[in-house]
Amino acid sequence: MNMILAVMYREFRIRATGFVWIFFDLVMPLVYLSLFGVGLDKAMAAGVATEGARLSYQTFFLAGVLSMACFGIAINTSYGFFVDRDNGIFYEFLTYPMTRGQFLIGKIVFNCLLALVQSVITISFSVLLLEIPMQWHLTGLTLIGIIVGTAGWFFFLSMLALRIRRSDVYNTVLNIAYFVLMFASSMFYPLDSMPRWLHTLSLLNPLTWHTDGLRYATIGVGNVETIMIEAAAFGVFCLISFWLAVRTLYNVVVK
Amino acid sequence: MIMSPSIIDLAIRTDNLKKTYREHSKSPVQALDGVSLSVKRGEIFGLLGRNGAGKTTLLRILTTLIKPTSGTASVFGLDVQQHGLEVRKQICAVLQENALELFLSVKDNLTTFARFHSVPTEEREKRSLRAIEQFGLGEHKNSKAMDLSGGLKRRLQVAKVFMVDKPLVFLDEATTGMDPINKRAVLDAIREQANQGRTIVLTTHILQEAEELCTTIAMINTGKIVATGDVNAIKALGSTVYELSLTFEMMNDDMIAQLRSLNPQRLERKGNTIHLCVSGMESNVLDTISRLSKKTKLTHLEVNTGTLEDAFVELLGKSEENPT
Repeated sequence: MNMILAVMYREFRIRATGFVWIFFDLVMPLVYLSLFGVGLDKAMAAGVATEGARLSYQTFFLAGVLSMACFGIAINTSYGFFVDRDNGIFYEFLTYPMTRGQFLIGKIVFNCLLALVQSVITISFSVLLLEIPMQWHLTGLTLIGIIVGTAGWFFFLSMLALRIRRSDVYNTVLNIAYFVLMFASSMFYPLDSMPRWLHTLSLLNPLTWHTDGLRYATIGVGNVETIMIEAAAFGVFCLISFWLAVRTLYNVVVK
Repeated sequence: MIMSPSIIDLAIRTDNLKKTYREHSKSPVQALDGVSLSVKRGEIFGLLGRNGAGKTTLLRILTTLIKPTSGTASVFGLDVQQHGLEVRKQICAVLQENALELFLSVKDNLTTFARFHSVPTEEREKRSLRAIEQFGLGEHKNSKAMDLSGGLKRRLQVAKVFMVDKPLVFLDEATTGMDPINKRAVLDAIREQANQGRTIVLTTHILQEAEELCTTIAMINTGKIVATGDVNAIKALGSTVYELSLTFEMMNDDMIAQLRSLNPQRLERKGNTIHLCVSGMESNVLDTISRLSKKTKLTHLEVNTGTLEDAFVELLGKSEENPT
């Protein structure tokens, strides 16, 4: 436990050294919702039609922003592997008196806490100022979705970060993944209105599964059966990513 | 498990340790080729070798970073492969150049490191202040590591070792990039730690440093140990090496040519004094000096056994001529 806390403390100290970092970590999703969400909400006065319901754009976008928060934290943390590896501290970590599992768990617990704080800030703002109708009885599900989502994306992206040696290559992969995963998903717009090919592609995207789950948990929109299947698929995605990340962490160093 | 006293006395033991790196589309690289050695508790053990000789690979195996391809390695009787975590609880390692928390201050680097090694909070504060003072980092204690010069970064990295009480310390090229005064402070600190019973394993290219500091030395070349023992024993292994200092009343090119005919490893001339390091038959050397002294008066003659550096060149040269 001490080692997990030590990893979390280290992550906290690093984050606490820069205002920009804290800002990015804590309020970025809120800023996104405030600017992009509110802006599009005004532009699309008629709202968004999905799953037989008509919603304001900012109501629809809340789940997308929460999903983006989990994804964004995972990107930042996975990129941290590059910084740590380039300056050698990553290898030094592995000589500390802890297991590699403790190292990963410390990182993931810290990131999940960060994602929860981000989400609480974003949801509070959404309810108090944007009057987004939250399904409070599903709050537990929302929190689980945020924790599992952050962990899943962290494991997935860490696996890539540990496998790819060059930061420029990783940047390119990340940019492509970011672009494709976010825009071929239900994060920004409902799948119902997409062209067939994009609709099909989006249905195969774990970010869609995660966003749909969060949308159901926050505002209660979505078909329960579909959500259950997507949640199960996302669970499998997280487990596979976890297995691959742990395997990669051992194989990268222990040749 | 009952262990024999000799094993209990050992901090490190390796038996026929081999490591081959295999990567796609590259031919395999044999980094270690049957390394067997032992390090006693409380020793300052120097691992010497050229770049790519296998020193860092050996340290990486002993610090549980990588697994050997075959053979065994143990730390305080614990197999590094089977008991990795237990081994890591006994060691403290500074392996990579400038491995620091770049975004943290000097002080936070020290306290964070100590936290990972379970040093209690109050003790962390006390020790960080002591290490900051000992390594002359006072005026930079609140600076971020990323803003430090190369030498200061290295100093901070080595200072971390002195925050914890682990019985075995690994230092890879600890004094690289340091100025002579700080280097001296680090060497004194290492010696002090060894006096307190800690075992120190260090790699260095600076042989004078190893000669001054190490109780035992192992020389490694192309993944094999070519010599091991205390400094004098190693020098004795290169016992055909002599260091001569000769001063003549006058010196000319012909005399230099005659001295060069001894095939010295090193020959330096300063005025009428010549320093040379020769590896050869004693009688040959004496004959040449005698011949030269007949031409012009020899005013000073000093003969010493070679330095560790001379033995290093001699032994590594032999191992390359005869790899088996």
